[in-house]
Amino acid sequence: MNSALIAGVVTSSIMSGTSLLYATLGEIIGERAGIVNLGIEGLMLIGASSGFAAAALTGSPYLGIAAAALAGAAVNLVFAYLVVTRHANQLAAGLSLMFFGVGLSALIGGPFVGALITGLPRLSIPGLDPGGIGARLASYDLLVYLVLPTSLLIWWLIFRTRWGLGLRTVGESPSVAFAAGLRPHVLQYQALAWAGVLAGIAGAHISLALTLSWAEGMTAGRGFIAIALVIFAKWNPLWAIAGALLFGGAEALQLQLQAAGADVSPFIMTMTPYLLTLLVLVLWGWRRQSAAPAALGRTFVGVE
Amino acid sequence: MTRTGMMMAGVWALFAVLAAGPAAAQDKPPLIVGAIYVGSVNDYGYNRSMKDGLEEMKKAIPGLKLIEAENVPETAESERVMEGMIQQGAKLIFATSFGHQQFAFNLAKTHPDVYFEHAGGWMQAPNFGNFFGATQAAWYPMGVAAGKMTKSNTLGFVVGVPIGYAIGNVNAFEMGARSVNPKAQTRVVVTGGWSDKAKEAAAANALIDQGADVVTMHVDSPATIIQVAESRGQDSIGFQSVAAEQLAPKGWLTGLGFTWGPFMTETAQSVIAGTFKPAMVREGLGQGMMAVAPFGPAVPPDVRTLVTAAADKVGQGFNPFTGPITDNTGVVRIPAGESWGGDKMGNFDWYVEGVIGKAK
Repeated sequence: MNSALIAGVVTSSIMSGTSLLYATLGEIIGERAGIVNLGIEGLMLIGASSGFAAAALTGSPYLGIAAAALAGAAVNLVFAYLVVTRHANQLAAGLSLMFFGVGLSALIGGPFVGALITGLPRLSIPGLDPGGIGARLASYDLLVYLVLPTSLLIWWLIFRTRWGLGLRTVGESPSVAFAAGLRPHVLQYQALAWAGVLAGIAGAHISLALTLSWAEGMTAGRGFIAIALVIFAKWNPLWAIAGALLFGGAEALQLQLQAAGADVSPFIMTMTPYLLTLLVLVLWGWRRQSAAPAALGRTFVGVE
Repeated sequence: MTRTGMMMAGVWALFAVLAAGPAAAQDKPPLIVGAIYVGSVNDYGYNRSMKDGLEEMKKAIPGLKLIEAENVPETAESERVMEGMIQQGAKLIFATSFGHQQFAFNLAKTHPDVYFEHAGGWMQAPNFGNFFGATQAAWYPMGVAAGKMTKSNTLGFVVGVPIGYAIGNVNAFEMGARSVNPKAQTRVVVTGGWSDKAKEAAAANALIDQGADVVTMHVDSPATIIQVAESRGQDSIGFQSVAAEQLAPKGWLTGLGFTWGPFMTETAQSVIAGTFKPAMVREGLGQGMMAVAPFGPAVPPDVRTLVTAAADKVGQGFNPFTGPITDNTGVVRIPAGESWGGDKMGNFDWYVEGVIGKAK
């Protein structure tokens, strides 16, 4: 294990774990309110393509982030209307959202494939030698630096504020929430709006910071990994940090090990992050199901 | 009417409107050609090279109509798309990605009057031919360039899917590098798919972390890897399309590109004349389908001469896969006196000495 490998794995896990973490945080907010959204993959793609398109048009990656957040929120609000107001089946609506996102993102991103953009700049801690290992370990883009504070903020919002209490109540039992004077539908709309923002930003990180490009379907299943990570994280934003780093780390590690010349078949190496996810789900998943919000998957139909 | 009824009526009305479509009655073109791409043509890579070839064919045959579809996945969906093109009158279909082979072949059986050309496979039928660049030997001059330009003696190669042809590319690359720099080693990272940009970025970073100062690739689009190399101040060699130089103004060394135009034009003309003959066409450097990309500013004149000389040698028939060749575990794979020709290029499941990686 040389130091280049360790440094490479650390930086790579942080870079690829960041978008996973944003997406997981978004899904946690939604699921805490009782709505399971299988369409995060589509939302991430919409975020990635809108962010890239905005950055290509305006030259500013920050406007790209803003566009991605708004687009994610807008599309997730459509999902919210279907699921909260029209009481559509959440799983079906979520999957439809995913396919819709795949198509819409292709439409938005189509004219911009191959465009060269200024991506999010890497910001290092001043004073470090730019070529050295310290600089490599400590230079990331804005979204990476913001992801930890965001997780802490969301943890605080969900567990330490009135709004969060209301959100969790709706997720556990919407009728109790209604009886207590809360408005479940409004809270669910708010939750899904924020979930859309976070999923959009997750997608934007991939196109504006990781790859500086757009291609159809570029999230390659990360949205679904996020859904699994929510279960692993016990619907708690702090555990989500661990989960995202774990999965990001697995992917980074297998690529670094290949580069270092590990004597393992490349086919097995490519499988490992997904095997890890399956393993995690099997070992921790079903026991942790009991930690799920009790009313997950149902919406409040009102009292007559 | 019930709400469901109204919705169904609306859907059918929409279908009717769309299906009516544009009316026919134009001048009959000499040929309608259909083409499917696995990705976007703006990828600075494989799909771009196919598009460029088709455009060249279109210009060479006045009146020819070209129907294209981008982002056609390598699944049964491609069969539907090609069928749609045949319904629109296409008589020649170019299935440009490896994974389209079986589906194009299925259609060749049910449409004996339509001709198919598939890129990169091996199947043949009276109306189904196969074509590709003979890429393996062409990587030898790329290795020469990399071997001369590297300072760390570590070269990096990102491979999408480790099929025999791709492994052959890596082998020729390493052999070319060793021919001018006996200490050069090539590290290989497999991403698992022909196009996954986030993984390609991470793979390129991993190779550079391990010391590679020249990075190259066999994936659909070289763009991401070249951009990562450029952002970390390392050199890169491109593949698939000669257009990728603009992505790396400082670090671009050279590259290999496909020039499909002449072959495509010839094929289209043979269909028009009724003289189509199915064949497994593999053309290398100097034979029309492949070309060496322009050199970047960092490449000194003596290296350029060496690379061009190596390319000419290959163009005149030099086969780097002439024994004795040992693999990277010490086993002799091609004994002295033997050589592996074009038909064996898909058989590679071993890396030559000097490549750090596991082939299967």
